[in-house]
Amino acid sequence: MEFKSILDLRQSPYKDEVRPSFYMDFNLYQIIDSIKFHWGDNIASFYTYLPADTECEKYRREIFQDIKKGNLYEELMSFVSVMARCKEAQANQEEVRVAIQKAAWHVSRVALYGDAFTGLYKALQETDITSEGFKTLRDHLADYLEQESFKEMYRQAGELQTEMRKFRFKLFYENDLIVITEAEVPGTYESYLEEHFEKMPEGMKNPFAGSPELNLLEQKLMEIVQQRKPAFFKSLTRFYKNYEQYAKNELLQFTSEITFYLSYYKFMKKMEEYGYRFAAPEVCREKRMYANGLYDLALACVNCTEDKEVVSNDMEYGENEQFFVVTGPNQGGKTTFARSLGQLVYFTKMGLDVPAMAANVHPFSCILTHFSVEESVETGRGKLQEELVRLRPMMSEKCENAFVVINELFTTAANYDAIIMGQKVLQHFIGQRCRGIYVTHLKELADAHEQVVSLRALLDENGIQTHKIARKEAGDEACAINQVNKYRLSYEQLKERLS
Amino acid sequence: MKSYLLYPEKEWVNNTSYFDDKGIIQDLGLRILFMMAARDVIWENDEVKSIGMPDHFIEENFRKIMMVPLTCEDEIVYRQEILKDALAAEGFFREVYELTEKHLREWAELGRRSKEKIGSWDSLSNLIMDIRILRLFVNSLKRIKELFKEYEETISSRGLLALKQRLYQVFSDETEADLTRILQDVSFFVDSYEEDDKEHEMVNRPHIVLECSLDGGMKFQEFKLDELTTKHIKYRDPNSMLGKVQGYMNARTPDSVAIQWGTLLREHTLRIEFEAVHYVMSHTMTFVGRFNTFFDQLHLQSSFYRGAINLSHHMKRFRIAYCFPKVTARDMLRFDDLKEVVMSMEQRIEAVGNTCSMEDIRLLIVTGANQGGKSTFLRSIGIAQVMMQCGLMVTANEYESGIFPAFFTHFTRREDSAMNSGRLDEELGRMNQIVENLGEHSMVLLNESFATTTEKEGSVIAYDIIKALTEAGVKILTVTHLLSFAQRMYDEDRNGSGVEFFSAERLENGKRTFKMIQHAPELTSFGLDLYEEIMQRETYK
Repeated sequence: MEFKSILDLRQSPYKDEVRPSFYMDFNLYQIIDSIKFHWGDNIASFYTYLPADTECEKYRREIFQDIKKGNLYEELMSFVSVMARCKEAQANQEEVRVAIQKAAWHVSRVALYGDAFTGLYKALQETDITSEGFKTLRDHLADYLEQESFKEMYRQAGELQTEMRKFRFKLFYENDLIVITEAEVPGTYESYLEEHFEKMPEGMKNPFAGSPELNLLEQKLMEIVQQRKPAFFKSLTRFYKNYEQYAKNELLQFTSEITFYLSYYKFMKKMEEYGYRFAAPEVCREKRMYANGLYDLALACVNCTEDKEVVSNDMEYGENEQFFVVTGPNQGGKTTFARSLGQLVYFTKMGLDVPAMAANVHPFSCILTHFSVEESVETGRGKLQEELVRLRPMMSEKCENAFVVINELFTTAANYDAIIMGQKVLQHFIGQRCRGIYVTHLKELADAHEQVVSLRALLDENGIQTHKIARKEAGDEACAINQVNKYRLSYEQLKERLS
Repeated sequence: MKSYLLYPEKEWVNNTSYFDDKGIIQDLGLRILFMMAARDVIWENDEVKSIGMPDHFIEENFRKIMMVPLTCEDEIVYRQEILKDALAAEGFFREVYELTEKHLREWAELGRRSKEKIGSWDSLSNLIMDIRILRLFVNSLKRIKELFKEYEETISSRGLLALKQRLYQVFSDETEADLTRILQDVSFFVDSYEEDDKEHEMVNRPHIVLECSLDGGMKFQEFKLDELTTKHIKYRDPNSMLGKVQGYMNARTPDSVAIQWGTLLREHTLRIEFEAVHYVMSHTMTFVGRFNTFFDQLHLQSSFYRGAINLSHHMKRFRIAYCFPKVTARDMLRFDDLKEVVMSMEQRIEAVGNTCSMEDIRLLIVTGANQGGKSTFLRSIGIAQVMMQCGLMVTANEYESGIFPAFFTHFTRREDSAMNSGRLDEELGRMNQIVENLGEHSMVLLNESFATTTEKEGSVIAYDIIKALTEAGVKILTVTHLLSFAQRMYDEDRNGSGVEFFSAERLENGKRTFKMIQHAPELTSFGLDLYEEIMQRETYK
């Protein structure tokens, strides 16, 4: 098989899609912002499109599992950093105008490119990789690196670099005159300072630093060097001319795409330091879909710096169960739970590890979400109308076997209407063999359908929110008391607090 | 680098002064001491020629330092030793004080930078300033070393000897030589000409030898400094004949680039000079950093001794003898010919000296005639106590007492008076403050306290407070004319339990000597005597 992309087995139809709405609804941007902090803005685009189909999801998942093996992550990170230096060299090359400088930077670029892929190939050989993606890459590199044209180019670049590195010049500056000779000096003053004073962390700074371009004095000095070493400069120029096009496109694409996996892995490691767990999800339709210790990764991302705890939940869809209807008190963790479920499906589809202790996730065709938003002033539509407008495309086409997350639908409609509409919506998605979660304050929806499971946000014995979600009959809540209890403002509590 | 001239292992920080230090200054009249400390006495043939202008820095710091009590005998002895050195080698402290003042002034002019900014050599002018600052430091420290040599014979205190040793550690002769060399090597960067070369015949120019290699883009990198010195060479005008010859020679030198002044190339060579000098100077960063607060501390600390020297001259001027007090147990108080120095200096009168010896005493009650010298007596002890507790000399032949870091004065402040009821309230308020702030070893001086109410009430109040405080271990010296209070104390103390009574001496003929003697409390304050005296005076006129 030919190596094309480390991200996609086949071209994904979602690649150019604008951000799907669930991106915002699941607070994924909070996670991606945290990742962007280390990797820059470009990384975000990798997180916004899903693979083409379940086979492609599997392709990615296998690759991500391989990265955890042995030293492969560290090796890939160093590969990425060498290629970053190659990119810097390119930027410098584009900036400078002096011809021999352009040629010299080109030698650096080729040498770094060669180093990076030679190192990568070695790392892939030494790791017990099993993914289709890495295996084809390894075989592809094996062919490429053995080609005579590559070997010759890499060898020449290395030789030129070695020679260049060996140059030592002595600058003698006195009486308005600088004399340059090829020679080494004993560094007398440096040794004196080192012997008589505390050692400084840095040596003498480069007086010509600041721009990659040779300044006028350097140019004049370089002209003298050029006259003294014509052969070297000739081969430098020749190399540049011969190997102007040196890189393979698919390999440059790999360099960029691999950061998708690395960025998530690095992020995961950081979150693990804060005590959060991740699991490689199983994807098996034959087993029940479940997750243990599932939590909202976006919330964890925000809370970890503030040392606030994030509640985790266990969940499982029974054999014929298709929808969770979650009811319970406000601020009880319903939406957070819905988000964590959505994230579970999203990260599984992306081929990455999920924020849970263990999970089995069924393959879904797509993710559909509907979260209530603030009334839109611009469109001038009422909230109910706005909700319905957004709901329509979700309910129309290609939503078979989707994962659906609905959060507080029809809150502005009369209860009677809202119940009926809600039942219709549930009925529709259940009919489409979808799975999902429906957060609502309407307890009537909890027994709308036999495929519906009722979940409740639980309170403790004092009526305080636990943020735990469990299977429980829907019922009415004593809201006012809860609020009072939550803030420990009842008579007894106050007595106790003030004693 | 630390001065440690005020404490054995501590620099001066402005904290933990006496509670209500302003009240103490006011009650004991200490301001005159600060003023005297700030003025030189200029002698000529053992006669006072003139009094110098006040040095406000000394005045301010003398006050601050006097108002922070030392807390143990060792600290007091430590300062006394240095003060003895200072009195024996006045010139040393005079010079150190002046030198540090000059140093700090010049440092400020050179743009003294805060600690965190040291080392941010972002510009040419900063680097030049830093070279000048280093030069200033080296010169000042050299001078201090010389002073230590000059006064080697006279200096024997732990504090000064340790300072000398620390100075020699941080600024050894070797370090001095190294820094002097560096300053010489980089001098071209600061001075184009030598100071004494008025004609500018010779110029200071750099001589630099470097090694470098090439980076990936053929730029020069990894500069290694081999040689750096300042050369004094004869100045040649480039347009003169000889200058042109030089230019021609330069242009003909193989493998070389000639640098004309005022060109872009000259700017690039200036960068080379800058980085080389910067690199060399960066090695001196930690050295200067070590002295970041040293000169401030030394200036401030020497100002205290400088003030004490002045004070000793004023004592001589007013013919007041002084001694170095001794620290004893806290229930002891012994002195010989103790004089109230403030009054002597302020009113230029010869003070009456008092002598006493008390052991195992927690409470001292002074009663007796008005205008009999009771308050003066109390103040003289208070002043002596404060002076002892900051390491100063005391105006007596001998003075021995314990240390009371929690020291309070509670004097009737007549000038505060508004109405009688308000005054008692104010007095009790101050007493409450004192009680709240009592410490482990407390001494309270009460002068005519609770006299703003009737004698009967005042006596009860005084009895309750003083009884409670003494039982709590507070040492109290009180001047009172609350006679029923004094009598009650005297009656209770028949079996002798740490209370001592003093009153003004009255000779057989009724004449007052203004001396205080151990005496049972009198039932009259002899106001009648005073009345008589004044009336008689009137009659004579």
